[in-house]
Amino acid sequence: MPHRLTVVVSQSRSQNPKKRDLEEQIVAGLLGERGIDVTVLPNLYDLKPEGSGLLCLSGITGDVVICSWLYPRAARWILDRNQIRGQEGSTLLKSLGESEEQDDEQEQTESNESPDDKLRVIDQLELPARRIYCLDLRAYDDPAVFRNEVKRIARELATPTVELKSWINGSPKPEQMERYLAADSPDLPPPTSTPPLPTLVDEDAARRWYPVIDLSRCTNCLECIDFCLFGVYGIDARETILVEQPDNCRQGCPACSRVCPENAIIFPQHKTPAIAGSADVAGTLKINLSQLFGAPDPGASGAEKASEVAARERDEQLLLAGREAIGVQGGIPKRHATEQGSDCPKDELDNLIDSLDELDF
Amino acid sequence: MMGEYPAEFPTDRLYARNHMWAAPLAGSSYRFGFAAYAVRLLQDVYFLDWDIPAGTSIAEKQEIGQIESQKAEASLYAPHAGTLLEFNQVLLKDPSAINTDKYGDGWLFELEGETTQLLSPEQYLEHLEAVWEVTQRTIKGQMNQ
Repeated sequence: MPHRLTVVVSQSRSQNPKKRDLEEQIVAGLLGERGIDVTVLPNLYDLKPEGSGLLCLSGITGDVVICSWLYPRAARWILDRNQIRGQEGSTLLKSLGESEEQDDEQEQTESNESPDDKLRVIDQLELPARRIYCLDLRAYDDPAVFRNEVKRIARELATPTVELKSWINGSPKPEQMERYLAADSPDLPPPTSTPPLPTLVDEDAARRWYPVIDLSRCTNCLECIDFCLFGVYGIDARETILVEQPDNCRQGCPACSRVCPENAIIFPQHKTPAIAGSADVAGTLKINLSQLFGAPDPGASGAEKASEVAARERDEQLLLAGREAIGVQGGIPKRHATEQGSDCPKDELDNLIDSLDELDF
Repeated sequence: MMGEYPAEFPTDRLYARNHMWAAPLAGSSYRFGFAAYAVRLLQDVYFLDWDIPAGTSIAEKQEIGQIESQKAEASLYAPHAGTLLEFNQVLLKDPSAINTDKYGDGWLFELEGETTQLLSPEQYLEHLEAVWEVTQRTIKGQMNQ
């Protein structure tokens, strides 16, 4: 069976003609490509759980390229939450705000990184072998960039690497040879004579607002379930964190993502890239020492710490819902207690400071 | 006059300093929309989004939404404190009414609260004269960046 790749274009919420044009040109350019099916959907994030959009996506079992106006992490984990799962496909394209230089730096830090001993939720997931590639439509203006990347991915997937490996110890079986040659032969006529059309999914996608968990970062620490007082989070049968009631979430409130120790909670439509799912991880960036020199906490309003901003945002939502504000109580102190608890063994720095106290000037 | 085009400001309503009109509804609530000056600067509006749900109490100058247009991207702020009663839902799907009928179907939201800071049409025109310099500097400053 020839390899098929489905390209899904998730439309922008905006009516911006430039954005619509980019979407249309990608679709038009890929129609009629051998082995490529094209589907057009409203904004991925707004699709309703039982709606025709997600139903259509669930029906795609092979490899998929998702083109959306979202960070790739956001797109991938929105799909995952809806049981549309697969291995992360690697793209050569950047996402919004990512530069060549940053990428090099990131690779460097990745290679220098000491092995992370934290167990992530993704480590326990059994993901199907099919690949899901997420392209960020905000990153390039030229539709050809996306079309070429789709074609590159299609070629990459069509290369039967598994069969080739088995040749090493012998000669290819005739059917393997046939399959290998068929995959790349360019001059076969298209299978149908009617002009190809994209699958258009029309869903009345009213705007939604809810958190998306990046399970490759999440350690299942459950800080979020403790913190959110609106019952958004729950745990599944395997006692793993789950966005159980997404529509309980308070529109505009990103507070839980600020308390997440692993930056795993994404609000794809938030203005701050780190909350909207940019690839930045606090840990891989250089440490900003401005705070040491008196600057207010970056990424927070005024001099508030992230946890204080989160508590304030949560209070605002509690009051709006006719409930009482609780400040920084509830959810947050647990972690701080372990950080500052007196039962922590002293380290070298503590000992050094203690010895300073003992000095008699 | 704004540039080479005459701008119309209906006199049956009040205006806010952030270039919104405010038409009185029942009680102390007003319906707000973009005044000609704002629409002229924005040009075609492509996208409108609100950060808060209807029924929310808001503070003066609180950030309440985002707008994207042919010429600009901007955050939107509350013209005064109060309770935001309702948003124009039609604009979320298709914001073009902001351009085609800014003083009618292109209304943005309805807000209830203390409105002492709203300006009469005459006061608003004076305000426009006063901020014109600032606006020009804002636009030109960003173009030179």
